[in-house]
Amino acid sequence: MTTALRIAREEWRLWARSRVVLVAALILAVLLAATSAITAGRVTEEAAKRTARQASAEATFFAQPDRHPHRMVHYGHYAFRAPPPLAAFDPGVDAVTGQSIFLEGHRQNTAMFADTRSGADLGGFAALNPANIYQLLLPLLLIIIGHGVVLRERESGTLAVMLAQGQSGLAIAGGKALALAGVAGLFLLPVAALAGFSVASGEAPLAAIMLVASYALYLAVWAALVLAVSLLVRQRSVALGLLVFAWLLIALIVPRLGINAGSAAVDAPGKIESDLVMLAEQRKLGDGHNAADPAFDALQKQVLERYEAASVEELPINWRGVVAGYSEAKLTDLMNDYAENRMRREAEQSRIVTWFGLASPTLAVGAASRTLAGTDLATHHRFLRESEALRFDFVQGLNDLHATKLTYADDAKRSSDPEAEARTRVNAAAWRLLDTFRFTPDPAAERLARALLPLAMMLGWLAALAGVITVGARRLKP
Amino acid sequence: MSVLLREARFLARDRGAVLWIALAFLLSVAATGFGIAEVREQRATIAELLIEDAKDRANAIGQHEAWGDAAYVAFHLTYAPPSDFAFAALGQRDTAPWLHRVRMLSLESQIHEADTKNADFGLIGRFDFAFLAAAIAPLLLILLLHDLRAAERVAGRHDLLVATAGKPSRLWLPRAALRFAGLAMALLLPFWVGAALEGAALTKVAAGSALVLGGLAIWWLIIEAAGRIQATPPVLLAALVGIWLALALLGPAIARAAIEAQTPVPDGAEILMLQREAVNDAWDLPKEATMRPFLAAHPEWQSLGQVTKPFEWKWYYAFQFVGDQKAAPVVQAYRGGRIARDRAAGMAAVLSPTSLVERGFERLAQTDTAAMIAYEDAVRAYHAELRAFHYPMLFRDPPYDPAVFAGLPDYTPPQ
Repeated sequence: MTTALRIAREEWRLWARSRVVLVAALILAVLLAATSAITAGRVTEEAAKRTARQASAEATFFAQPDRHPHRMVHYGHYAFRAPPPLAAFDPGVDAVTGQSIFLEGHRQNTAMFADTRSGADLGGFAALNPANIYQLLLPLLLIIIGHGVVLRERESGTLAVMLAQGQSGLAIAGGKALALAGVAGLFLLPVAALAGFSVASGEAPLAAIMLVASYALYLAVWAALVLAVSLLVRQRSVALGLLVFAWLLIALIVPRLGINAGSAAVDAPGKIESDLVMLAEQRKLGDGHNAADPAFDALQKQVLERYEAASVEELPINWRGVVAGYSEAKLTDLMNDYAENRMRREAEQSRIVTWFGLASPTLAVGAASRTLAGTDLATHHRFLRESEALRFDFVQGLNDLHATKLTYADDAKRSSDPEAEARTRVNAAAWRLLDTFRFTPDPAAERLARALLPLAMMLGWLAALAGVITVGARRLKP
Repeated sequence: MSVLLREARFLARDRGAVLWIALAFLLSVAATGFGIAEVREQRATIAELLIEDAKDRANAIGQHEAWGDAAYVAFHLTYAPPSDFAFAALGQRDTAPWLHRVRMLSLESQIHEADTKNADFGLIGRFDFAFLAAAIAPLLLILLLHDLRAAERVAGRHDLLVATAGKPSRLWLPRAALRFAGLAMALLLPFWVGAALEGAALTKVAAGSALVLGGLAIWWLIIEAAGRIQATPPVLLAALVGIWLALALLGPAIARAAIEAQTPVPDGAEILMLQREAVNDAWDLPKEATMRPFLAAHPEWQSLGQVTKPFEWKWYYAFQFVGDQKAAPVVQAYRGGRIARDRAAGMAAVLSPTSLVERGFERLAQTDTAAMIAYEDAVRAYHAELRAFHYPMLFRDPPYDPAVFAGLPDYTPPQ
């Protein structure tokens, strides 16, 4: 072990004296520190802003005047997706999906006003955040400083001396691995700091620790790849060329090809497309605004029987409100079927993309990182489901008021008789039925369970590369 | 000629170089193929939806017997079809909506509906030809050209070669030119085949090819300048990758952050809040409060603008319009902010060959911000036509006759 440490210490001393290494490491460190500070600041501000907006939307809803309850159904409400604490490290899909949804009766709206829609378009990867830097740039740094760890000794002839002194190839490889691990460990400090910051702002320690562990694993995979190439290739320029090529493939090409493949393999209709198909079906359900719609005949018979009334006018409840509640429930079932189908297909696409992680640890660490941070597609889907539940609750609460607090006679006349119209207004105190909504991602254990597949993929890479290194080190010759 | 033949023989024996060029070819085939598959799917979606849309509208109108009801239930499909060049650069089509179904209600509550696809797509991005040409191809060129001189230097032949060649350019130029041409052809051939399959306009294909060649030429100059430094191939390669990072990744990212900080756009959610407050308050306000601003914008309906009953359709659609009117200043600021940001991005792109090539492709493909805004403008224009069509029926209230709806305006996509 002391041999390994001595070899590693020698390597560190050498790097510390190399201007290329120092400049590259310094630039990256500054970049990482700056982006971390900026992203953390932006996300914290954004979280506070959205939480405040959520509270103000609730206050506005409560402050509405006396109204017909159906007006409140259309007045609607907003749900905001506040970014979780770890979004300070990996904002994930936040920029792409839009952060708020308008909730109203009879409709499931989409999350609107994504940042990307108003962003300055400078092409491919013009958004920098700490997660991106870890995923794309740190491997390059490891390549630049590490491709010569063994080759350097070979080229200068010291490898022969070391082997002749009786050092085993394994001990040499171990020392070099330790040297690279030291650099990787140093560069884990920013993510560890951000993880600590997130725990301070309420994140579960498990998620934060696992996030740091994912990136430790990711950097270990790259360090192993660099070491393996340096061990097996005999020319420095070939080694560097190969490693840059591997980076190009793993970090830039395979993830995007995975997206192409996912999009080509599973056809996930957009919302407007599936809404159109749904609307045709919906028309068969009847129009909830029109209590005379023949689609409600069966319901009418059933309700009349239950209250032993001969006509809707004799009912103790407002038939129009009953129809509104009934059709909202039916419609919501239908909308949820379509929404679930859409989300399922999107999840299928993303699963295909995740399997490309077998060929690209960058893709795997990205999936693990977003999942652990609570900024992945599945968390967005969770937001959509929760905001839908919120929507359904308050709409049905209002429909309930519509059925029980208004008389049918007044309700039917309200379009032509101003006095009847005045009597159909419900006291504003009733608007308190709206639930408060604060979005939080899944519990840390569930997020971790979802991240296990990509983490296992990276472990597989590491194991395979460790095998290659062991074999290569055993056969190490000058 | 014999010089080129000799260099071609060298190139054929250089396994590394052949590998990079073959890889470029395969990637170009993949990017073009996936691009064509995607735009064809989008076109098929639009064609299918156009049929469904007409059917649904006829069905919806058929179930009602009042002008106001029919206008309420009739949706109209609007869309921006992918251009003949869109296969090469999907651009904003992955994040901005290109399909809507609008009706007579307040447009601001409909036009911001985001029909985005899988969020992961927008996040990671597609591998389209524009990305290949703008970001990946320069790296391949770096791998191909960085060690031309340095490799000979390492092999100890450099000075001898230069001395026998007479002029150094006679030695290096054909060697580099051949590799450059090989890479360019590997990229462009699949692209040309794809363009022929898609029937893309020749001028666009020529402009796209020029962009690829121009972008690569800039990188060639950069590599050439760096290659004169007396350094070993690994150091050169590391330096060139650093330059690539700065120009392709860091520069655009910093420019983007700076532009967005300097040119703020209003929070889009504000548009929706304003519109919604205006529309919902209208129910409780005196009818004149709605009709006055509406009639000021539509003086032709002045004589028929009295609302006497608690509910009349003309008043209902008037406050939908007034809701849009209230939000108009923020909408204008949002639109203006996006255009200003795009213009600033266009200027900043001059600093980065990667951004320049990618933006150039998006412009040719009509998948840039300007094209997306043009689509939104087309939807706005169509909504105005729709209102102009319905207002006479709502205000004059002639006997209901569904045959009138045969004259509904047709949507024409932007060109």
